[in-house]
Amino acid sequence: MIPAIGSALPRVEISPSTNFVTGGVAQGGVEAGKGFGAVLTQIASDAVSTVKTAEATSIKGVNGESSTQAVVEAVMSAERTLQTAIAVRDKAVAAYLELSRMSI
Amino acid sequence: MIDPIVSSLKIASSGLSAQSTRLRVVSENIANANTTGNVAGADPYQRKTITFAAELDRLTGADLVKVSDVGRDPSAFVVEHDPGNPAANADGYVKMPNVNMLVEMADMREANRSYEANLQVVKQAREIINMTIDLLRS
Repeated sequence: MIPAIGSALPRVEISPSTNFVTGGVAQGGVEAGKGFGAVLTQIASDAVSTVKTAEATSIKGVNGESSTQAVVEAVMSAERTLQTAIAVRDKAVAAYLELSRMSI
Repeated sequence: MIDPIVSSLKIASSGLSAQSTRLRVVSENIANANTTGNVAGADPYQRKTITFAAELDRLTGADLVKVSDVGRDPSAFVVEHDPGNPAANADGYVKMPNVNMLVEMADMREANRSYEANLQVVKQAREIINMTIDLLRS
């Protein structure tokens, strides 16, 4: 019984990540079979770079070097990326919680 | 960036900046409505006009809008009799700018309305994106 569970778990871990890669949520940078961790890392680093761009544009806007529309656009894009990242993370965490609640 | 919703955000933002430039031109015209020359018989401020053009965005294949030209209105200047003005000619006539306040006000209002329309597009696109992301929750 125990080897069966042990061999089942990695499969559970791998299949969502391959789904993500073929689904196109994280394009490039994540090889198939690396698991949720790699996908989340990729999404998080994307989000961080978008937020950094938004910050830089905001500072430019405060200094008067960039238009209000550019600032709003950058901040909205950051918000969008962050929301997507949070939603994906919540989904992943919920999946792990679901696994941990499994009755043995 | 081939997501059509994201590209409509980009298109709307190009419309926003085009309309801002239009408003800038209108404000220049209004501010200079009384600008005359300072030597006798000199030409006054000539009204500015703005022209838009469609511009293909190669990344998304969408038509953005851009300001193609800020030109000058060649119509005749208004002539007023004001002998005391430094720009008056020998007969006492001064050339005033060819700015018509009524036209500028109408143009300003139209720029405002177009800006609002583009903002509405941004709002809708954002709402659609948020609704789609919300599918992941619940």
